[in-house]
Amino acid sequence: MKYIPTIGIECHVQLCTKTKLFSEVDNDARGKEPNSCVSPVDYALPGMLPRLNGEAIRLAILAGRAMNCEINNNSRFDRKHYFYPDSPKGYQITQYYAPIIGSGYVELPSGTRIKIEHAHLEGDAGKLTHFDSYSLVDLNRVDTPLIEIVSMPDIHSAKDAHDYCKELWRLMRYAGVTYGDLYNGNMRFDVNTSVAPEDSKKLGTRTEVKNLNSFRSVERAVEYEIARQTKLLEAGEKVIQETRGWSDATGKTTGQRSKEEAKDYRYMPEPDLPPIHLTEEFVEAESSKLPMMPADYRTKFGGIIANDTMEVLLDYPELMFKLNEIDEKNVKSISNLFASVLLAEEKSAEYLNDLPSAKQLNDLAQMNEKKELSSTAAKEVFLRLFDPQMRGKDTRSIAKELGLIQENDLDALGAIVDTVLAKPETKKAQDDFRAGEEKVIGFLVGQVMKESHGKANPSAVQEILRKKLA
Amino acid sequence: MKVDESTVKHLADLSDFRLNSDEAKRLGGDLENIIKYISQLDELDTSDVEPTYQVFEMENVWRNDEILPQDANCEDLLNLTVETIDNQIKVPKVL
Repeated sequence: MKYIPTIGIECHVQLCTKTKLFSEVDNDARGKEPNSCVSPVDYALPGMLPRLNGEAIRLAILAGRAMNCEINNNSRFDRKHYFYPDSPKGYQITQYYAPIIGSGYVELPSGTRIKIEHAHLEGDAGKLTHFDSYSLVDLNRVDTPLIEIVSMPDIHSAKDAHDYCKELWRLMRYAGVTYGDLYNGNMRFDVNTSVAPEDSKKLGTRTEVKNLNSFRSVERAVEYEIARQTKLLEAGEKVIQETRGWSDATGKTTGQRSKEEAKDYRYMPEPDLPPIHLTEEFVEAESSKLPMMPADYRTKFGGIIANDTMEVLLDYPELMFKLNEIDEKNVKSISNLFASVLLAEEKSAEYLNDLPSAKQLNDLAQMNEKKELSSTAAKEVFLRLFDPQMRGKDTRSIAKELGLIQENDLDALGAIVDTVLAKPETKKAQDDFRAGEEKVIGFLVGQVMKESHGKANPSAVQEILRKKLA
Repeated sequence: MKVDESTVKHLADLSDFRLNSDEAKRLGGDLENIIKYISQLDELDTSDVEPTYQVFEMENVWRNDEILPQDANCEDLLNLTVETIDNQIKVPKVL
């Protein structure tokens, strides 16, 4: 019997606001001491009031629009109660009944659309580190703003699960709502997987693998779960509904000790935070700040940039934003330099933060186009545009300084060719060529290149030689 | 509504309270009385009334995204805890 997998994914995205969701302390704890980015609100001291960060609402609108979602005019916060040392309040402030982001969809590179059920704002929890006989608590991450994106159970393969997570990561970075640093947990994925016989109308029993932080882990965990569940069903056994942990090292999921009963979060409206009411005008004004998204670039540059190069470049919003700034006729050559030269550089991550200006890149592409720069020279000049000593200069000055500009002036080249042909040591080659020995043209071109100190355009030289020796 | 000992125990578990049997029985009685008192509201017909989520009639109380000095610093807050190790708060083993 054939079994069809069904997958739904919840994704937590940390928003890159300056301050936390409910207090005016630094939201960026990277490289800072534990418990240094905290306020009395994060400690949940009695009487402390949460104060909602308006920027989180703006970013939520952008994130929602990036996923083609409705933005709900009315939303509000609720308390989700649980007792654990990572949450001094004893509850998480989230949006359970009326989330800010409604339904929408994410389109994968393959064209498949994955429906979004909703997405909501909430505060993150603190970080626990476990030791043999105790645990340590760092509250720097408490109430970092998150949006939790809930997909419909709309995904039917491990590959699509991977592509969906990756596309979400791209969308959130293009929209500028997160740093998108997966290694540091800026985006985390919980994956629900079930399998059911092909002819079944009902979905199978699902398992949830929590806290995955790479696309590859998502893909492998889903592959593993599909195989494991299919094997159980084929053997006439049952899948147990449970949370399972994933290990990258073993490539397996394992059942985690399940609580005896379903969690009882006792949701209630958050009385300390008045509801959010967004007017159509406000939503439209904020939405209009959304830049072009990956799908827009696929449409705009689809005929210019090859598909596989495009999918590589789309991982770097900085590069696509830059391609959008330069003249369209130069997009093909500059996109090739980005993909084959820039991304191959050891320092590429650094380079991305400080790209050359659109004018520098346009000039470079045009000089290459007009054969003033050979392809090899264009690559060299391109890399010099990132050189701290050179980067302030215009492309032509850099090329000149490096002596890389090719001589294309036909009169000037003609004069050099004449000088070479007048030399006695080229006499024999000239005679041989006239006698039909094609390949000596290479020797003659080489002599001209030498005479020009490497600056002549070899194809132009060859053309002139052929005319003069005809 | 009857609040039996197992319901009280369940609520205590969710909040990580330890209660002995006498306390659980007494609290069960207290909770029953509280619920009975509040249940008087059930006598009202609210079928045509919009639910109320807050009573201040405020909305959109937002602040700017600016880092501001706080009334208590890291040290003040860590001093409120029982024990710390390298600026982290030490708690009993939870896993």
